[in-house]
Amino acid sequence: MIPNLKTNEKSLIKMSIGGYVTQPSFKNPGYIPNNDGNSVILPGMYGVVNNVKVGDKAFGWSGDHIEPGVSIDSENINEHFALHYLVCTGNKAIVRSGEAKGKTGVVTGEHARNLIHFEQNTLEKICVGDQIDIITHGRGLKLLDFLEIEIKKIDPNLLKSMNFKVENKKLIVDVAIELPIKIMGSGAELNSEYVDQDLMSGDRSLMKQLKIDQMKLGDLIVINHADHRWGRSYKKDHVSIALCIHGDSVMTGHGPGIMTIMTGTKKNLGWKINKNANLKNILKIKL
Amino acid sequence: MKIETNEKLLVNVSVVGSVCQPNFQGLPAEPYRLDSNGSPFLLPSWGSIVHNVSIGDSAFGWEADCIHPGVSIKYPSEAGNRGLNILSCVGNEATIMSGEAKNAKGIVTGKSGRFSEQVIVHFPKKIREKISINDKILIKSFGVGLKINNFKDVFCKSLSPQLFVKMNIKNKDKKMVIPVTHIIPEHLIGAGSGLTSESGSLHIQTTDSSEMKKYKLDKLKLGDIIYIENYDSSYQHGFLRNAWAVGIIGQTNGPRAGYGPGITILMSSKKNNAKAKLESSANIINYIKFIK
Repeated sequence: MIPNLKTNEKSLIKMSIGGYVTQPSFKNPGYIPNNDGNSVILPGMYGVVNNVKVGDKAFGWSGDHIEPGVSIDSENINEHFALHYLVCTGNKAIVRSGEAKGKTGVVTGEHARNLIHFEQNTLEKICVGDQIDIITHGRGLKLLDFLEIEIKKIDPNLLKSMNFKVENKKLIVDVAIELPIKIMGSGAELNSEYVDQDLMSGDRSLMKQLKIDQMKLGDLIVINHADHRWGRSYKKDHVSIALCIHGDSVMTGHGPGIMTIMTGTKKNLGWKINKNANLKNILKIKL
Repeated sequence: MKIETNEKLLVNVSVVGSVCQPNFQGLPAEPYRLDSNGSPFLLPSWGSIVHNVSIGDSAFGWEADCIHPGVSIKYPSEAGNRGLNILSCVGNEATIMSGEAKNAKGIVTGKSGRFSEQVIVHFPKKIREKISINDKILIKSFGVGLKINNFKDVFCKSLSPQLFVKMNIKNKDKKMVIPVTHIIPEHLIGAGSGLTSESGSLHIQTTDSSEMKKYKLDKLKLGDIIYIENYDSSYQHGFLRNAWAVGIIGQTNGPRAGYGPGITILMSSKKNNAKAKLESSANIINYIKFIK
C-alpha cells in the first residue's frame, strides 16, 4: 500500500447492474476431450460452487474451469456485455431476491460470467435464478502518477489495498507467481476488456518445475512481454499483471484463467514475488 | 406581470417504468466507442442507478459518457415506453412501487434520447443502494397539454406545472423573461436535431473547448435551466432564426463528437416572444424541494 497513491477515484461513476445466478449447463453429450483425447465429464463453469473459494488451490480439483463462489450472468446479450464491461473485481454485490435477500458479497473476478464470493452461511441460501446487483465502480480508473499504466476492472479500494512500492519512478507490484508468455492460451482471440485468458497447463512437468501448479485462486500473477491494452498479445518488454480467477482445465490450450488488472511497460511497471499476494488477503475475505 | 396557465385542465395520469440495466454491444464488435479525436474509450454510459452523481453536480469531469444522475427507468414494450417518455414531465413526483426502497419518493429531472429513451429520476443518495435493478417506479404524470395564458405560441414540453410555477418567469412588455444559467448559441447544438421534441434529449457540442470557455458552458451543472438561441423545438428540434428553446441539463458530458451534456426541452416558440435573464441560481435544485 502506498499512502499517497493518487487516483482519479472521485470522477468515477458508481452504477448498479443486475445479474442472475446461473444454472450449471452442458452441451450435449457433456463430454469434453482432455489433453490425451479421452472424453471426460466434469463439473465446472456456472452455478453456485459451495466448496471452492478464493484462496483455494487452482489445480487438482476434479473439475474443469471451476468458478469459485457464485457465477452470475444475464440472458439478455447486451446486459451480458454490460456486466463484463462495468463490473470490477472488489465491487460490492447485494442479493436482491430469494432466501439470501439483502446479503452482501464481493466480486472476485470475471470469467464467462461474473464471480462473486459470499460467506458460507449466505452461500447455502442462494438459489439458481436469484437476482444479484453489483454496485459497479472502477471503470476509467487511473493512477495519476502512472498514466502510462492501464488499469482494468478493479475497484479503487482493491487498488488501494494492494502492495506496491515505487522504485526509480517505476511501480512495483507484489505478485505470487510469474508466468512465461509462451504458456498463455485461450482468450487471445478476445478483446482484453472481456473475460480472461487461460494459461496452458498441458505441459504438466513444466507446471511442476515452475511451481505454477501451486497457484491459488485469487493469486496476483505477472506475465512478462505481454501487452494487454487492446487485446492479449506478445510484445517485448510489456508487462501485464492479472488475477487467477478460475481453476485448471483438462483441455488442450486451457488451464487456470488469468484476468488482466494492469498493463504497462518495463519502464513503468515491475513486480516482486510475494507468495501472499492473493485477493483473499488483500480484500480480507471472510469464508 | 404574473403568468398563468391552464393547469386546472390538465390530466394527471399514472405511468410506470422499471429501473433499467446498463447495456453494451456484443462480440465480435469491440466494446469501444470513439471520442471526438477518433480514440477508443470504454466508460459507463446511460441507464441504471448511478449512486454518486446527482442533480446539482457538475456536468463535466466524470469518467463517463452522458451519465444520467440518479435512477433511469424504461418500460419493456416500445409503445409503453413512448407513453412513459412522452407523459412524464420534469418536476413530476415518482414513487418506488416494489423492492427494499418501496414507497420512497423521487422527482423526474430529465429524459434521454435516441438509442436509450429513458426517463431520469432523482432519488436521495442514501436510498439508492436499496433500489434494485427491475424495481417498478410510478410517475404521476402531469403537464402534457400545458399552455401559458397570453403566450399561445409557446409550446410546453415535458414541463410540469410544479416546475413552471417556480421558474420565476415574468411577463415584461409582452415577452416572457426566463431566468437561465447559460445562453447557448445554436451552432453548439449537436445530437438530437431532427428528432422529436416531445421526449428525448438534445446535446450540446463540447469538442471545441475554446467555445466552451467563451460561453462558460464548461461550468454547466446538472439541473441548470438553459436558453438556446435561434432554435425551434415546437414539433421537432431544428434551427430557425429568432426562435428559442428553454431546457434543463439532464445528463453529463461525454467524449463522443456531438454528445456533450444533454438537454430536455421544456419550452419553445417560433416567435420572438421570450428573453433570457442570466441567473446562476436557475437550477431545478433551487426550484423544487430535493433531498440530496
